[in-house]
Amino acid sequence: MAWFMGIDIGSGTSKGIITEDGKLKVYHLLTSGINYRMTAQRLMEKLLTKADLQAEDIACTVTTGHGADIIPFNNQHVDDIQCCAKGINRIFPSVRTVIDVQGQSSQVIRLDEKGQVIDFTISERCASGSGRFIEVIANILQIELKDIGPLSLKSENPVTFTTGCAVFGESEAISRVAEGISKEDILAGVHKALADQIFALVDRLGLEEQCAVSGGGGLNVGLIKKLEELGIKLLVPPQPQLVNALGAAIMADEQVI
Amino acid sequence: MRNNSPEDARYISWEVTNIYFAGIDLGSTITKVVIIDRSEEICAKMISHTGAEHRRLANQLMKEALEQAGLTFEKVSYVVATGYGRMMVPFADRHITELTCHARGVFKLFPNVGLAIDIGGQDSKVLKISGGKLIDFTMSDKCAAGTGRYLEVIANVLGLKLEDLGTISLQSTNKISISSTCTVFAQQEVISRLSEGVPLEDIVAGIHDAIASRVARMVQRLKAESDVVFTGGVAKNIGVVKALEEKLGCEVLVPEEPLFSGAIGAALLAREITLKALAQGEPIPKGQRRLDEATFFK
Repeated sequence: MAWFMGIDIGSGTSKGIITEDGKLKVYHLLTSGINYRMTAQRLMEKLLTKADLQAEDIACTVTTGHGADIIPFNNQHVDDIQCCAKGINRIFPSVRTVIDVQGQSSQVIRLDEKGQVIDFTISERCASGSGRFIEVIANILQIELKDIGPLSLKSENPVTFTTGCAVFGESEAISRVAEGISKEDILAGVHKALADQIFALVDRLGLEEQCAVSGGGGLNVGLIKKLEELGIKLLVPPQPQLVNALGAAIMADEQVI
Repeated sequence: MRNNSPEDARYISWEVTNIYFAGIDLGSTITKVVIIDRSEEICAKMISHTGAEHRRLANQLMKEALEQAGLTFEKVSYVVATGYGRMMVPFADRHITELTCHARGVFKLFPNVGLAIDIGGQDSKVLKISGGKLIDFTMSDKCAAGTGRYLEVIANVLGLKLEDLGTISLQSTNKISISSTCTVFAQQEVISRLSEGVPLEDIVAGIHDAIASRVARMVQRLKAESDVVFTGGVAKNIGVVKALEEKLGCEVLVPEEPLFSGAIGAALLAREITLKALAQGEPIPKGQRRLDEATFFK
C-alpha cells in the first residue's frame, strides 16, 4: 500500500489529508494560529495517529497554502492554485472553473479535464475580496462564523455597502446597527458585496461550465446564494475547505509515480 | 426663526467692526470649530471627537466656541461648514468642500507653500495651491490604508495609544517593511512580526513608512515643486512627518495645530463672502440657520 500526505496551511485554518492508494484515508483540521511551524507539526502528528501510521510510511508529502513555505518537515511545496485545480478535479471531474474563497484571498481558476491549470486570477491585495471581509463584519455583529450564512438568508432587505474597503465597511456596519437595521440585512449586504468582488474576478477570466466553489467560503450558504443570484451555478463539495489539501496529496502521489 | 425684514442681520453697514465669522469642519473622526473677527484674528477654537451624533455635536461645539469667545450666535454673521459631515450642520449658511477650505486655511498659515498634504481619519488628500486657491488635487478615500484609520487599527493591535506612535517609532534602528497594502492584512502581518519578537519600535516605524510611501506617490502624481505643508490629525505624528521628509526629500512643515486648517479656511471664506456682500451693499446671503438642538435619532 502507498500513503501520501497533503498539508494546507491556510491563513485561518490548516487542513491535512492522508490518502491510501489514491483514496482519502483520514483528514484533520486545526486553527492555524500564529505559529505555523508548530501547527504543521501538530497537524501531521494528528493525521498519523488517526491513520495509525508512522512518518516513514508516508511516501511523499506536499504542502500548500499561505504559510506552507516554513514547514519544518521534509516535503515538496506546490502553490495553492495547482492544488485547488487537482483537488476539485478529483471530486468533480466535469468542473472547468473553480472559485476558491479563502480567508485572505479569492481566486478563480480555469482547469482542463486532467486538473491542469489553464488560467487563473487572484484578489489578494485587499481584505474586501476575501472571506476576511465577512469575518470582520460578523465580528462587529458578534455572530459566530458558522451562523452568518444561514442568518443572512433570512434577510428581506439587504443593505448596500458603499465602500470597497473592509475597514470602512466595518464603520458602515456600525452605522447601520445604530440606525436599527437588522443583523440579517447587514450580513446579507456584506455577502452581496463579496459576491460582487468575486463576480468581477470570474468576469475577468470568463466562466466555463461547470463551476464549483472551494475553500472556507464554500461553507457559507449565504455567499453561495449571492453568487448564484449573479448567475453562477455552483457545485459545492461536501468539505470545500479540504479541496486544496486533497489536491496536495494527489500531487504527492503523482510526483512519486 | 428670524424674520426676513430689512432690519435683520443680513443687512449690516460696511463700517461695523464687531462682526464675527465661524468655520466648522465636521471630519469623520474629529470636529473643529473656529471663530474669527473682521481682522482675521481667532477668537475661539474648539475641538471634539465626532462620534455618531453629528448634528447634536455640531450644535454643542458651536455653543462652546461662542461661550469661549463671549459671543451670542446672532453676533456671528456667517457660518461655513466643511468636512465629511458638512451637510449635517443645521446652522451653517453655506457648505463648502474641505478641499477649498483647506487650501484657504493653509494659505493663511503658510502663504508661500504650494503643496499641502492632509491626512485625516478617513481619507488623505494632496492639494496644489496657488494664491490661496486650489489648482489641482489627488485624493484617496476608497481604502483605509494611507489614512489615519490605518494608524488607529495598528495602534489598537499593538496596544498603544495613537498619540504615542510617533515618539516610539523614533527609537527604531531597523524598521521593518510591511508587505500588505490592506489595513486588515497589515494588522495580521504586525501580529506575526510581534510573535517573531521584532521590537515594537521597528514595527511602528515600518507602519509609518508604509503610510508615507502611499502618500508620497500621491504627491509625485501632482508634480509640484515647492515646500510642503502637512495638516490633519496624522500630522501630529512625528514619525509620519519624518518618514514623509525621507520619501519626499524635502522639509515638511507642520502648523502648530495641524487639525484646524480646514476650519480656519472655512471661517476665512465666511469672512470673504460677508465682506464682499457688504462692499457691494448687498444682503449677506444667509441660509435658514438656527442653533437648535438637532438629533439624528428621532
